[in-house]
Amino acid sequence: MNLIDRYIAEVGRHLPEKSREDIEAEIGSMLEDMIDENSRQTGKPVNDEVTAAALEQLGDPKLLAYQYTPARHYLIGPDWYEAYIETLKRVLATALPVVALITLFIALARNPIDFVDAAGQAFGRVIDVAIGILFWVTVAFIIVERTDTNPNEFGSAKPGGWTVSQLPKLPKMRQISIAETLANIVFLTGFTVWIILPFVWSQGNEAVPFLNPDLWQIWLPVFFVLVVLTLIHEILKLIIGNWTQPLMITNVILCLVSIAYIIALVTTQNIFNPAFLATLSEDVVGKLRDTARWASWTVNISAAITIGIYIWDMVNSIIMAKRLNSPEPKNAIATEKMLKQ
Amino acid sequence: MENEELVQNMLLELRRGTLSLAVLSQLSREQYGYSLLKALSDQGMEIDQSTLYPLLRRLEAQGLLQSDWRIMDEARPRRYYVISTQGKAVLTKLKREWSTMAETMKQMLT
Repeated sequence: MNLIDRYIAEVGRHLPEKSREDIEAEIGSMLEDMIDENSRQTGKPVNDEVTAAALEQLGDPKLLAYQYTPARHYLIGPDWYEAYIETLKRVLATALPVVALITLFIALARNPIDFVDAAGQAFGRVIDVAIGILFWVTVAFIIVERTDTNPNEFGSAKPGGWTVSQLPKLPKMRQISIAETLANIVFLTGFTVWIILPFVWSQGNEAVPFLNPDLWQIWLPVFFVLVVLTLIHEILKLIIGNWTQPLMITNVILCLVSIAYIIALVTTQNIFNPAFLATLSEDVVGKLRDTARWASWTVNISAAITIGIYIWDMVNSIIMAKRLNSPEPKNAIATEKMLKQ
Repeated sequence: MENEELVQNMLLELRRGTLSLAVLSQLSREQYGYSLLKALSDQGMEIDQSTLYPLLRRLEAQGLLQSDWRIMDEARPRRYYVISTQGKAVLTKLKREWSTMAETMKQMLT
């Protein structure tokens, strides 16, 4: 009897809860019929040997259970798996560095000396956000998988139900990723707001903006003009989708102007508000000299990274524009060959 | 040797296609799982039990069979299956199709 119970429990483990009890009872009753019959035919009493023979005749309990429930035994099937992994990778790769940098920067702005604590905060926040992204992307794809009205499973397609009109269109060739452009726009807007906000807050209370107010005379207005131009350019990239000649040339000009602006700004101006640095040094145990050193260090590193990104963007757009003008000949050759045959 | 295996596999496929029809045809009188298995095998139709039992459930879910638990002849409780009205209509159609198909195959094979 023990064998039968174990067998039925194993089948039940792979059955949906709704029908489990009923199917278990049915299999139990059938098994007893089988065992009685086997024992009668062989003349042996009902013992473990006869029972085992009957169970093996019925086969692997897992497979038996699957026969009863030909439903999906997965959360995300092969139809959506690739898209799922790709989305996860992209979202994580975009969001995590931004989250890490912002957390790091805020923590360092509060307490410039404790770099270890800032790194720890950034690390913790990255883990939190990663788990959140993993969860929500997975939930989204599970919903898509369950509600997809056109599942690509074998056997579920209705005969004659498919027409050529259901073939998806080939994706339009695109050099410029939509996600990347959108991320640029969000980042640029966020960065600008982040720079302006402290000035708004500082009106009428004691908060000290961290940027030097003198910059308002020329440098910040120029910066805003550059931001607006860049945003317009990003939107054009989004619409056009490829590095056409005009798009590439305007991109190169924008990058060069931005680089020149950054170098001029960093070398000639005090970026941080002296009052802000003073409050930092009061708050924190460090001295003004340490804080000033930290400030120039932060500015120089950020400037170097930003210039690097601009140079890369420039080079990339030039290469892509060249490629666009001389399309890969693979398809042309293949077509020619087919025509000759 | 290899041919033997191929033949076995193809036979299995052939038989699988006719299973539903065979089961429906035998359930004008109500049967429980094991007695149906016996009835089929007595007439030369061997079915794996792990195929038959889930098949009965599927046919019931499609409305072609009806079933309920019952105790008969003082034996243990068993689930008895019988063909439904819808099942009878489907069976009539399938029977007709089957004779046409059998006729076609006969002509092709002789």
